[in-house]
Amino acid sequence: MKNAFKLLSKLIALCAGIYGLLFLVFYLDLDGKLLFRKVEPMLVKHYDKMERRDPLSMAYDVNG
Amino acid sequence: MKKIDLKKLKQLDVKKLAKDFWQGKPHGERRLGELYEDKTGLYKHREWRGVKDTFYYFNNIWLYNYIMMVGDIMKFGGPVIFAKGLWRYRWMGQTYLPVLHWFDRGLEGLRGEALRASAWHYRAMVCVTINQFMNMFKADANLHGGKHNEAWHHSIAHKETVWGGIFYPWADKFTHIPLEMIPYFVTCHVNNHTVLNYIDAVQSIGLPGDPCPMCQAEAGLFVQDDMPDYAPFVITSNEACDGSVASTAIQDWFMNIPLFAMPQPMQFDDPLVQEHCANEIKECWRFIEEQTGVPFDWEQLKKNLEKQNELQRFEWEKWDVAANTNHYPINGVAQALYRIYQSQYGEHYIWHDTDKRVRKILEKCVEQRIDTFPMTRHRMIAWSCAPLYYSHWCTWAYNCWGLNTIINMDSLMFDMEIRTDNLENTVMDMAKYHEWAPMRRMAVGGMHHIFELWENMEKFHCDMVMMYDQLQCKGMQGVVGLFEDEFRARNIHAIWMPHALPDKRTVSRAEIRRIINDYMTTVMQEEPLDPSLLDFDDSESW
Repeated sequence: MKNAFKLLSKLIALCAGIYGLLFLVFYLDLDGKLLFRKVEPMLVKHYDKMERRDPLSMAYDVNG
Repeated sequence: MKKIDLKKLKQLDVKKLAKDFWQGKPHGERRLGELYEDKTGLYKHREWRGVKDTFYYFNNIWLYNYIMMVGDIMKFGGPVIFAKGLWRYRWMGQTYLPVLHWFDRGLEGLRGEALRASAWHYRAMVCVTINQFMNMFKADANLHGGKHNEAWHHSIAHKETVWGGIFYPWADKFTHIPLEMIPYFVTCHVNNHTVLNYIDAVQSIGLPGDPCPMCQAEAGLFVQDDMPDYAPFVITSNEACDGSVASTAIQDWFMNIPLFAMPQPMQFDDPLVQEHCANEIKECWRFIEEQTGVPFDWEQLKKNLEKQNELQRFEWEKWDVAANTNHYPINGVAQALYRIYQSQYGEHYIWHDTDKRVRKILEKCVEQRIDTFPMTRHRMIAWSCAPLYYSHWCTWAYNCWGLNTIINMDSLMFDMEIRTDNLENTVMDMAKYHEWAPMRRMAVGGMHHIFELWENMEKFHCDMVMMYDQLQCKGMQGVVGLFEDEFRARNIHAIWMPHALPDKRTVSRAEIRRIINDYMTTVMQEEPLDPSLLDFDDSESW
C-alpha cells in the first residue's frame, strides 16, 4: 500500500513536472523560437538544394 | 548586478498586481506590442490573459491542438507518409509546422467566450487541412516511387476555385482534393514566406510581375515541381477570372492528365446563363463518369447537400446575432477564414462538430447577454478580397483601435440553401452557388453585386468600411473611382487597404497598419486603445 502510494506520488510529481515544463515552453514561446530559428532554416536549406524535375522540358501537347 | 529600486518597489500597487494576475490587464493597459521580438514577431513571452484564460489557452488551445494535430496525422494516414511529404514539399514543411503561431496571431487579446469560439474555428481549419494534405500524400506517385496506387485511382483533382460540392455524387467512393487550397491558399495565412518562392519561380520563366499574384503562385507550384501527383484527371474553372484560365494552361501542360474545363459565366444574372452553367455541371459529371467508370449517385449528392444546408442555416443564425447584437463571439479573422474554407471546400464532419460547439457558446453569449468585444468603437464591414498574408489585421485593429470587423464580403458569397427535391432544381441551384464563388459574385461578377456593400452595411449595422484594394486585380481596380464617389456621396467612413493578396513585399503589414493609424488619427481624430501596437517591425515574421 505504502509502495503504491509512493509510486502514485512519484507519478503525480512527474506529470506535474512535465506539465510545468510544457507551460514554460508555451509561455516563453520556445516552440515558436525553435521552429523559427532552427527548424525552418534547416528545412529551407534542404528544399533549396533539392533536385527537381524541369517541367519546362516537357512538350505542351493540347491533344495529348 | 542590478540594484533593486526600493522607491519603485514601495510604489507598487500589490492589489492591482494581484488583480491583473488573476483577471488579466484591462484592454487599455495591455501593451501587446511590447510582447513581440523585433522583426520576427516571435513573443518574448506569450500574453498573460489572467489565470482562467491563460490556462484555457494553454490547455484547450495550445496543448489540445498540438495533440489533435498528431491525432489527425495518425488518423488520416500515419507518421511515415506525413514525414515523406514534409521532406518532399516546401509548402508542407515550411508552412504547417508553426501553425500554433497562426492561432496566436489571430487570437491575440481575446478573452472569454470570444477566445473559445474563435479558437474552435481555427481547430476545424487545421483538421481539414491535415486531412487534405494527408489524402494528397497517400495518393502521391512522387512519394510512392512513381507508382499509381489505389488512392491515386480514387482521387479527383480540381482547382481550388471549383466548389467541392460538384463531387458529392461520388463522395462515398472518391476523394476530391483541390490542387492549390493547401499548397497555396492556406499557406499564405500560416506562413507568408513560403508563397514567395512560387511567385518568383513563375516570374523566372518570363511571366511579368503584374498579373494576379494568386494565379502566379498557383502556376509557380508547378514550375518548381512542388505539386503532388495524386489523381488521374482534373476539373478546372475560370473562377475567379481569366487569370485563373492562364494558370490552368500551365497546370495542364505540367500535369498532362485528362482535364475538364468548367467555365462559369461572369455576368450571371441572366436566366439563360443559369441554364448554360447547369449544363456545364452536368457535362462535368459525365466526364467524371467516363474517367472513373462509376455512375452518378443522386442519393449521395442529396445527402451531402442536405448536410451542407445544415451548415448554411447555422451560418444564418450566426449572422443574425452578429448583425443585431453585441453578443457575437467570433472575431473577424476566424469568421472570414472558417466561412470561406467551409463553403468552398464543402462537406466535412469537422464543420458539424465545430458548429455544435460554437452553437453552445453562441447561445450562452445571447442568454447571458455577454458583450463579447467590449472595446468596440466602430462596427466594420470588410469588402472585396483580403490580404492573405495579413488576414489577422482585424485582430490587430480591434486591439489597437477598437475596430471590430463584424462581417466581410467573402463570408456573404454563398448565401443560399440548395434545393434537393429533384435533380433539375438541384442543378440549377448548384449552378447559382458555383457562380457565387469568392472573388466572383461581388468582386468581378458585375456592378450590382459589388455594390451589395450598402445593404450589408445596413443589415449588419456597420458604421465603417475596410475597403480592400488588391493592387493586381484588374477587375477591382476598375471600380475604385466609383466606390470613392459613393463613399463621399453616402458620407461613409472607408479606409482603403492596398495589398497584393499573398505577396507581402508589395505592401507590408507595417504599411497597412500605418494607413489605418493615419486614418484613425487624422480623419477620425481618435486615440489608440493600445499605443504599443501603433508601430512595430514584424517584417520577418510568419
